[in-house]
Amino acid sequence: MNRTTRSLLPLTVAASLLLSGCGSDSDSSSDKKSDGPSSGTIEITVSEADGCVAEPDTAPAGALTFHVTNVDAAGVTEVEVVSDQRIRGEKENLAPGFDATFSAKLDGGQYEIYCPGATTEKVPFTVTGEAPQTSDDLSVLLQQATVDYAEYIDTQVGALQESLPALVDAIADGDLEAAKIAYANSRVFYEKIEPVAESFGDLDPAIDLREGDVAAGEDLTGFHPIEKALWIDGSTDGLEELTTQLTADVDDLKGRTGELSKNTKADSADGDRYLPDEIANGAVALLDEVQQSKITGEEEAYSHLDIVDFQANVEGSLQAFATLKPALDQIDETLVPTISDKFDLLVAEVQKLKDPQSLGGYVAYDKVTDAQKKTLTDSLLAVIEPLSTISSKVANA
Amino acid sequence: MTTSDSFQSSRRSFLGGAGLVFGGALAGGIAAQGLTPGASTGSPAGSAADSTVPFFGDHQGGVSTAAQDRLMFAALDVTTTSTEDLTHLLGRWAAMASRFTQGEQVSAAPERADVPPKDTGETLDMPPEQLTITVGFGPGLFDDRFGLASRMPAALKPLDPLPGDQVLDPAISGGDLCIQACANDPQVVFHAVRNMVRAARGVAVLRWSQLGFGRASATGSGQSTPRNLFGFKDGTNNIKADDTAALSDYVWVGDDTDQPWMTGGTYLVTRKIRMEIESWDADFLADQERIFARLKSTGAPLTGSAEFDPVDFGATSGGEPVIDPNSHVALAAPQLNDGVRILRRGYNYTDGQHAGNGKLDAGLFFICFQQDPHTQFAVLQEKLGKSDLLNEYIAHVSSGVWAVPPGLSEPGDWYGKKLFSP
Repeated sequence: MNRTTRSLLPLTVAASLLLSGCGSDSDSSSDKKSDGPSSGTIEITVSEADGCVAEPDTAPAGALTFHVTNVDAAGVTEVEVVSDQRIRGEKENLAPGFDATFSAKLDGGQYEIYCPGATTEKVPFTVTGEAPQTSDDLSVLLQQATVDYAEYIDTQVGALQESLPALVDAIADGDLEAAKIAYANSRVFYEKIEPVAESFGDLDPAIDLREGDVAAGEDLTGFHPIEKALWIDGSTDGLEELTTQLTADVDDLKGRTGELSKNTKADSADGDRYLPDEIANGAVALLDEVQQSKITGEEEAYSHLDIVDFQANVEGSLQAFATLKPALDQIDETLVPTISDKFDLLVAEVQKLKDPQSLGGYVAYDKVTDAQKKTLTDSLLAVIEPLSTISSKVANA
Repeated sequence: MTTSDSFQSSRRSFLGGAGLVFGGALAGGIAAQGLTPGASTGSPAGSAADSTVPFFGDHQGGVSTAAQDRLMFAALDVTTTSTEDLTHLLGRWAAMASRFTQGEQVSAAPERADVPPKDTGETLDMPPEQLTITVGFGPGLFDDRFGLASRMPAALKPLDPLPGDQVLDPAISGGDLCIQACANDPQVVFHAVRNMVRAARGVAVLRWSQLGFGRASATGSGQSTPRNLFGFKDGTNNIKADDTAALSDYVWVGDDTDQPWMTGGTYLVTRKIRMEIESWDADFLADQERIFARLKSTGAPLTGSAEFDPVDFGATSGGEPVIDPNSHVALAAPQLNDGVRILRRGYNYTDGQHAGNGKLDAGLFFICFQQDPHTQFAVLQEKLGKSDLLNEYIAHVSSGVWAVPPGLSEPGDWYGKKLFSP
């Protein structure tokens, strides 16, 4: 099966991405190393001559550190560790002559090191020992899915939190262009986890309400009034109050998702936690979001960043689905291949709109043709249809 | 028609051209193998025998490399404020340049049907045609954006206004970064610049660019001296690729620099010098020869009979100097300028026709390399701009100065690595 597991993150999202919540993440100019890699570090070297190379290509289960060096591959900007469509760790924004480090906690099993654009793009990577959940006990698999999902959400919310100071600083400095870039970067993380934020009732409205959604006289807070000020008014003036509130709301979100995550990992009956059917519903909800507000251009009416949100929603949905795969295979072995294939096609369509020159790394929505919108809608519906059936299957399992 | 003697022209000087070059006594030395990238001393540019100039080495190619036939020069403004974005661009450029100069595409990785090709493709199946790529940093890069203010070399200070600089056009002058691509085929130089500018999108934008169609200097000792668009031989005594002593004395930045990251580098000055073609064409031959102090036919100085004969500045005829003191040769001769020399590497250009007056828009895209533009180029241009007889026929319309960092040592090295990570 030809899986498309490319990251959907925009190029402009730089340093601290997926793994910022669960490992070190650093960039540096690649200096000649006088000593070898420290023990336990996997050296990933990307070069025109040899493509994507991992040394060693096997490691014991646990927290692994990957040191990536792009020697001279001008076409390569990212490296991922992938298993079964799940991105388990990645590093973005690579350039020839530079290196970077990321870490990932990996269970035993087969992985792929994926260097999109390299002369050899994929190499197998084996993690030995402490195999992942091999239980065919469905309840164990579903519990593991919630833990995996909790980790994904924690990482994204952490990245969202870390992305905000750039926006706050740009607005404080009155730097309009930097503020726009920071806005685009932050939106990505929020859009991946939106269903979780929505579950808290008050937080999603505070963070993501649009102008048309509030009654006259009510205060509008969150991203969109900032968006309007930056793009329509062309000004950063007077936004400090909004960014302060947004920062507080995101801090609140971090606290609450952290609590969910803790309860989920404790597998405790007390307290709120992620539930498998809610993850399934969330995966569908994200795609519904796309269908309702992104494909229409309503979400980012001023900045036209809808496709940036679009890809983030799709990635959030795919990652939610991926956590459920082992359990779904137990429930109905035909489900996963069907949905995975549809996701592949959707991801490929979104990839076609990638545009490194555009803010957020994707073409502005006002540049997307009607024919492209139709193709996107068709691909989207093709996923939503089978995906929408899994929630009840999981709930009734 | 020119008047004689200390004609004070309001026009630009024809940069050193002839002067510098013609004035000196010697053509380049002999022997010494080229020790730098592109120091292909033996074969004239265009030789099919060796169409590849080595990329890695102590110095960047395109400086002492035997001058190729074609140029595309591009100046860019950096638009990002992120140091990481900027350094990553310099890394991408290094990887691309290391491949383009060897006749390779952006990447050898297979293209995908559903995304734009990595390489624009117009040089597929073409040899590298001795392509060299030379990258430089303008003074603007050392402002407060990237924290480089303390690493600004004194030699990179913008040039003070020189005589005749009044008509410089800021829109086609300066720039934070520059790319000089030289090769023996115009499509090859265009491809290199196009793809590097493409890689810069979101980080830097094209400010101005210039195509050059015929080399206006000889920098290889095997190269014949070319003619400029005034029809005169130009570059007889240029510093040659194999003249390692002259390169070390006048061109390459040594250990005594104020900025160690520039050791092995050099400083680049560009001047776009528009020629008043129609006026020149109406000047009579003897006056043209008086202005250059050379014979048009052979390039011999007016005091000699062959191109490489030394110039006799003391010779008189009927009580008047044979070599006019305001001739190009006299004003720019090293022996009359405390020995100051520069390495010229310019190209003839035409941009077609002036939209306004219908005249030919053509001239010399002057390029020179030196250790310090302030004590080399500027000293010569000060004199030329003031007194050169050629000033009636030329105008300097663009100017730029860049620091050209040293050559890249190996795959993974990048332009300015020592500047950004000392």
